[in-house]
Amino acid sequence: MPDNTNNKRMFTIWQIAAAVIAGAQREKTDEPVLDVTHLTKSFGIKTILDDISFHIESGEIFGLLGPNGAGKTTMIRIILDIIKSDHGSVKMFGKVFDEDFKERIGYLPEERGLYQKITVFECLKYFANLKNVKKPDDRIDFWLEEVGLIDYKKRRVSDLSKGMQQKIQLASTFIHDPDILILDEPFSGLDPVNTKIVKDIMLDLKRDGKTIILSTHQMDQAERMCDRILMINHGEKVLYGTLDQIKAGYRESRVMVVEYEGDLKPVDGVIEVEDYGRYAELGLERGTDPQDVLKNLMESVKLRRFEMKSPSLNEIFIEVANDA
Amino acid sequence: MHKALVVAKHEFLATVKTKGFILSLILPFLILLPVMFTSGYVTQIATDSPRNIGFVDETGILQPDGIFIRFEDIGDAENALLNDEIQSFFTIPTDYLKTGRVFLYGTGEFFSSAPTDLVEAFLIDNLLHDSGADETLSDRIRHPADVEQITLNEKGEVEEKQEVRFLIPYAVAILMMLSIMTTSGYLMQGIVAEKENKTVEILLSSLSPEELLTGKLIGFGSAGLLQICVWICSGVLVVSLTSLAAIFQEIQISLIMILAIPYFTLGYLLFAGSMACVAAPASTMKDAQQGAMIFTMLGILPIMLLGVIIAAPDSVIARVLTYVPYTAPAATLMRITLTGIPVYEIAASLLMLTISVIVVIKFSARIFRSAILMSGGKIRVKDIPGYLKR
Repeated sequence: MPDNTNNKRMFTIWQIAAAVIAGAQREKTDEPVLDVTHLTKSFGIKTILDDISFHIESGEIFGLLGPNGAGKTTMIRIILDIIKSDHGSVKMFGKVFDEDFKERIGYLPEERGLYQKITVFECLKYFANLKNVKKPDDRIDFWLEEVGLIDYKKRRVSDLSKGMQQKIQLASTFIHDPDILILDEPFSGLDPVNTKIVKDIMLDLKRDGKTIILSTHQMDQAERMCDRILMINHGEKVLYGTLDQIKAGYRESRVMVVEYEGDLKPVDGVIEVEDYGRYAELGLERGTDPQDVLKNLMESVKLRRFEMKSPSLNEIFIEVANDA
Repeated sequence: MHKALVVAKHEFLATVKTKGFILSLILPFLILLPVMFTSGYVTQIATDSPRNIGFVDETGILQPDGIFIRFEDIGDAENALLNDEIQSFFTIPTDYLKTGRVFLYGTGEFFSSAPTDLVEAFLIDNLLHDSGADETLSDRIRHPADVEQITLNEKGEVEEKQEVRFLIPYAVAILMMLSIMTTSGYLMQGIVAEKENKTVEILLSSLSPEELLTGKLIGFGSAGLLQICVWICSGVLVVSLTSLAAIFQEIQISLIMILAIPYFTLGYLLFAGSMACVAAPASTMKDAQQGAMIFTMLGILPIMLLGVIIAAPDSVIARVLTYVPYTAPAATLMRITLTGIPVYEIAASLLMLTISVIVVIKFSARIFRSAILMSGGKIRVKDIPGYLKR
C-alpha cells in the first residue's frame, strides 16, 4: 500500500505556511482599515456632513459620537455605500469601497429589524446567505450559544422578548466573522446583565483583531471602551483623537474638587457648585485661573485637599453640543 | 447576482407560504370543482323528481298528454299536490280564450322554478290541435325563430362564430392583469414591510439596492408565474372535462399561450418596477397604494374599454392601447382572440414594452436606492429629480 503519510505532512506544512504568510501580510499592512477623506453630503439645502476626514486603525474600538441629528447615521450609510456622498472618498483596506467589502463588515443599525413571521434559524440563515457564509448552520449554532439563545432556534422571532431579539440581531451582525463591526447603539434596550454580555463579546472580538466602530450616546461606555473617538455635531468634526488628547484640550475649563472645613461662600469665576458639606465640586467659568479661585476660597474655608478633575467625555459631549 | 438569487429564493418561499397565496391557488378548485359536481348532481335530482303537472280545465279544450294529468276539480288537484303526486297544477277558467288568464299552483320554492314554459307549450299544442293549422305552420308557431348572429368586418366580410369568442377576451385580460397586479402588489407589500420592520437597512449592508430590487423582482415574479401557471392548468383541466371545450376549439389557444408568457413577464416587470418607485419612499402601505393607483388604473383601462375593443378590435383606440406599454398586455391578448393582429403590430408592441421595461427598471433602481431609507410618506412628482440625483 502506498504510504501517504509524508504527503499528508507536507500538505499540512504548506497549509500552515500559507496561513502564517497570509496572517503576516494581514498584520504587516500599514494601511488604515478605513480612510475617510473630505466627506461631504447634503440633502437639498441642508448640509448633513461637511468635509469630514478621519481614519480608523486595525484592531481598535473607534467611537463615533455626536448628538441626535449630528450626521452619524448618514456617515455610516456612506461608509457602507448604502448612499453616495457628494464629495470625498471612503477607502477600506487601502482600496476604494466596492460591494465585496460588505462581506467583511458587520452592521448593527440603530433601528433594529428582524423578520417577525419566520423562525430565528430561518432569519439568521437568510442574513448568513447574504454574507456568503460557507457553513451557515454551524455559525448560527455558535452565535446562538454565545448569546445564550440556542434553545430558541426553532421559535418564531415574534415569540421572543425585545431583549432576546436584540441579541439575535447582534448574532446576525457577527455571524459572517467580519473584520469590521459597525455597531450603532449596541447597548440600547439591554438590561445590565445583557449589556455586560454584549460588552464582553465586543472585547473578545477586539482581542481577536476585529475593528469596531461604536456609535453611541452612552458616553461612559465610549469612555471606557474606545481607543479613539470622532465627535461630529451638525455635520462638522468637533473632536477627533485619543481620549487623552481630547481631554487635554478641555482641561482649562474643568471642575475643581476641594475638601474643606468651614462655610463655603460664593467665589468669583465659579459658575456651578455641588456642595456636600466637607467636599465640593466647583465648575469653573471658561478662562478662569484656578489659582485665583483657590486664593478666594482660602479666605473663607480651610482647604484640606484640592485637585483639578479631569473632564469626563460626557461633560465634553454636553459642552460641545451646547456650544454649537 | 448570487445575492440577488438569495433574495429571490427568500421572497419566493416567503410568498408561496402565505395563506393568501395558497388560497389564491386553490380558490379556482374550491369554486369550480363543486360547481362541476353539484351541477351534475342537481341535474340528476331534477331528472328524478316528479315532473307531473296537473290541470283543471273549465273550457274543455285541453287533452291530457304525457306529464299533464287532468283533475276534475281544484280539491282533487290540491290533494294530489299536497301528497306530492304532482309538482304543480294550473286551472283554466271558462273565459280563458277571451282573457288568457291561467292560475298556477305550487308548494315550497315554487315560484323560483314554476313550469311556465311547459304550461305555455302545452297550451299552444292544444290550441293548435283545435285550430286546423297544418304541421309546418304549427311548427313555426311553436318555434317562430332560430336566430343565428352574423358579424361583418370592416371589409363587409362575414366573420363566423363571433358569439363564442365574446367571453374569451374578457377572461384572458382579467386573468393576465389579475396576476400581474397581484404579483406587483406582493412586491410593493414586501418593500413597505421591510421598511416598516427596519430590515431593509440590514439588507443594504449586505448587498446593493440594485441587487435587492433585482432579487425581489425575480422572487415575486416567480411566485406570480407559478400562480398563473396553476390557474391556466386548472382552467384547461376544467375546460377539458366540460362542454366548454367546444368553445375553445375556435380560438388560437396556442398563440395566446405563446404570447401570454412574454406579455406577462414584461408586463409584470413594468408594473413591478413602477410599484417599486412608489413603494420605496412610502412609510406605510396606504401611502404606497395611493401612489400605485395610477398604474392600476392604466392596467385595467383595456378591461374598462372592453366594449369598444370587442366592437372594433382593429380600431384606432384598440391599436393605440396595443402600443401603450401599460395597456399593451391586456389589450393585445384581448385583440388576438377577436381579430388577426398583424405580426408587425405585435412586434412593435413587444418592442415598446421592452424599451419601457428597461427605462422603468433603471429609473426605479435609482429611486429605490435614494428613497428606500427615507420616511417622508408617498412619492411626490417634485421629489423625483432629487431622488434621481442622489
